[in-house]
Amino acid sequence: MSVITLNPPSSRKYRFSGTQAYCFASAALSILIVGTILLTLLVQSGPILLTGNADIIGTKWNPSDGKFGILPMLFGSVFVMSIAVSIAFPVGLMAAVYIAETRSSKLRRVLKSTLEILAGIPSIVYGLIGVTYLNIWIADLFDLQSGRIILTAGILLGIMILPTFLTLTEDAISAVPVKYRENAKSLGLYRHEVFLSIILPKAKSGIAGAGLLALGRALGETMAVMLVIGSLDRLPSPLLNPLSSGQTITSKLGREVTESAFGSPHFSALVFMGLLLVLITIFLTIASRYLFRQKDQHV
Amino acid sequence: MIPSLRYSIFVALAATLAACSAPDAISVSGSSTVLPAVSKAADQYSAETGISVIVNAGGSGGGFNQLAEGQTDIGMMSRDITAGELGKFASLNFQEIAIGRDAVVPSISSEIYDAGVTALTLSQISDIYSGRVDNWSEFGGPDRAIFAIDKEASRGTRQIFMKVVMGDPKAEAAGADLVTGSNNEEQTALTQSDAAIGMLSYAWLNEEVRGLSIILEDGKRIEASLDTIRTGEFPFVRNLNVVTRDDTSQAAQAFIAYLLGPKGQKMVEDAGYIRVSN
Amino acid sequence: MSERVNIRRVQEKCFAFILRASLALCGGVLVFLLGSIVVKGFGSLSLDFFFTPAKDFGKSGGVIYQILGSLLMVVAAAVLVLPLALGTAIFQISYNARPKIRYVLEQSLYALNAIPSITYGLFGLIFFVNVLNTGISWFVGAVILAIMILPTAILSTYQAMAAIPKTYQENAAALGLTKAQVIRRVTLPQSFHGLVTGLLIGLARAIGETAPIMFIATAFSGVTVPQSLVEPVSTLPTHILELAQQSTDPQALQNAWGASLILVGLVAGFSGLALLIRSRLSSEGRK
Repeated sequence: MSVITLNPPSSRKYRFSGTQAYCFASAALSILIVGTILLTLLVQSGPILLTGNADIIGTKWNPSDGKFGILPMLFGSVFVMSIAVSIAFPVGLMAAVYIAETRSSKLRRVLKSTLEILAGIPSIVYGLIGVTYLNIWIADLFDLQSGRIILTAGILLGIMILPTFLTLTEDAISAVPVKYRENAKSLGLYRHEVFLSIILPKAKSGIAGAGLLALGRALGETMAVMLVIGSLDRLPSPLLNPLSSGQTITSKLGREVTESAFGSPHFSALVFMGLLLVLITIFLTIASRYLFRQKDQHV
Repeated sequence: MIPSLRYSIFVALAATLAACSAPDAISVSGSSTVLPAVSKAADQYSAETGISVIVNAGGSGGGFNQLAEGQTDIGMMSRDITAGELGKFASLNFQEIAIGRDAVVPSISSEIYDAGVTALTLSQISDIYSGRVDNWSEFGGPDRAIFAIDKEASRGTRQIFMKVVMGDPKAEAAGADLVTGSNNEEQTALTQSDAAIGMLSYAWLNEEVRGLSIILEDGKRIEASLDTIRTGEFPFVRNLNVVTRDDTSQAAQAFIAYLLGPKGQKMVEDAGYIRVSN
Repeated sequence: MSERVNIRRVQEKCFAFILRASLALCGGVLVFLLGSIVVKGFGSLSLDFFFTPAKDFGKSGGVIYQILGSLLMVVAAAVLVLPLALGTAIFQISYNARPKIRYVLEQSLYALNAIPSITYGLFGLIFFVNVLNTGISWFVGAVILAIMILPTAILSTYQAMAAIPKTYQENAAALGLTKAQVIRRVTLPQSFHGLVTGLLIGLARAIGETAPIMFIATAFSGVTVPQSLVEPVSTLPTHILELAQQSTDPQALQNAWGASLILVGLVAGFSGLALLIRSRLSSEGRK
């Protein structure tokens, strides 16, 4: 602000410099891109939303009959995500506690950078690992005809979101001031008691924020899931059977988008699922940012 | 710094416009069944003429849509164009040209084949896919649950198979346990299982994945072989088509002529299919 | 009382065990992942693998055009995103007067970062391939990847700009420089490392992406070096996808691992370069 007041008022008000124009245009374009993406998806979802008889909230997906029930995909996404989370969260949290308590800063740096390498492995490579190892192990373990099932996708996804969750959780735990922990220990509390009574309450918003961000990742992941989930557009039976093949929104999109004609109800139904996914992940990200900010205020 | 940036944006834009009008390669897209033959021929054609031919997979339905929307020069389809597809693009004219013949073969894991299930009737296969029968022991095989593998709905292989077995190319398969996409993926799933049934193009059968013979209503047993496909005796015979529009370029037409010529037809045979012309 | 202490001690033992087990599990997964990529990948690496085109649907031959296609697309994405990221970051740091606009911009960037990669592909397919009728084109792929890495590039540039001591700009302004001159002479040179780092981190992410480009920019076979902007290319991730679908074929699988190792190597290369530049340039900039 002080910079501006040093210039004569006339030049700031009326002379619109090239640099300024360029910067304003860039910022406007950045906002415009987001708007265009959302608007494009919304417009293309229009046809399926406006035809009332498409049964979007149904369990049957058969484009040739005009049936576009998205429930199997929606359920598949949530189911796979739940499995991933129930693996990644406990393991990640515990490992984060261990790393955060490590006194050696060198070890901590090494661990953190290895985690970053893990987070950088492209998802298609995770998919390859799923196809060559995990799906066969799981088929053998449960004596199945094929390991391309919801459980495999969930485990693979759990491994994929682990580094992200672990890193952010570790940050949250490390942000709890050392004096709290030292005080608690000097009172004779054991480590698990320090964890439950001090660390968890203090770092709770940060951990929850990390969790939401990881949830968003899990929901949006495509390639690895698509290769191992089995692509069956049906609700599992019984409903919570993780050993059945399934379909998520992302795997459905990945497999079917090129096979539907642009502008058809089929295409529109797929875009609608994409829009739904975008809205959910944006919501999760905004919620996690809110939680991270909470953390800043508390500590 | 800033002026040079603006300049570079301008150059990039100008280059975009200039390049959009540059002459293109021939692009071919569609069925993973037709793909091996066309792709091999394309490599050889490029080597001989210097014209690049870009081949892309995506299934028969995808190939047709891309052709209709003008995103590819030639579509590949392992089935005929449906009335519904024609209706969506009523203003356009399409030509189907058969470059080879193939059969969809009901295929099973070698373990079941070796245990004695080597032939089924069409209604038995229908029972499996509609979920009425779920154990190999019903057909004289081992006491093992049948693992039925379906394919994505728009795939040509699936539509031929379901049309013959269930009477409707779009029939829902309530008995399916797994859905795959390309022939490669279906073959992989069949290989990894020891009690599965699926549908494969004839060219994908091997030691691990065995083709079933079909028992007709009069009791005649027909084995899937190049002979029974050529004569049309095997019930699942189909044409492998390339599809064009009225406005398809000369370059693309020349490539199709190559496919139908002696060198192209040899590639069709090398890929495991039957030639349409000598 | 002593019983209570015993329970606590047992609980503590369990807790310590769970912590160690979790870390060991993470370590085990890490070793397994990296180990299998490296061990399996090295088996198929050779000079030929790097420098010959793929044959037989990727079962034999190498991945030269896949490497070139991947690099071409991400480098084009970086060139496209550079002016936009720079301009937006300067806008945020120097021109942003109204909190409302700042809020909208920030939220837009977070939203952009949150959008799942497959829906970028969907958007590209609708907006470019169909509405603008570009057809399947590597350049459209580059544009979509550029949009994906935009938030990272802006954030990194912005942070570097925010780290410049306020006195620098104030002194420059006191010497009579206009706002635009301050930006060009002080802000830009002092924060350039942030832009480069952000771009490299973006590149590392973009080169591994499959979902955004598989509908709009890539083809299966017959691809060489594109002669125009509207041709498809072949990339490492989409090549691995094709090969992964025929995972019972040992040859296909081996080449898939080889391509994966190269891809992971490129990702690590870009990330490593980013770290190097961050530590080098940021210390130089301060001098």
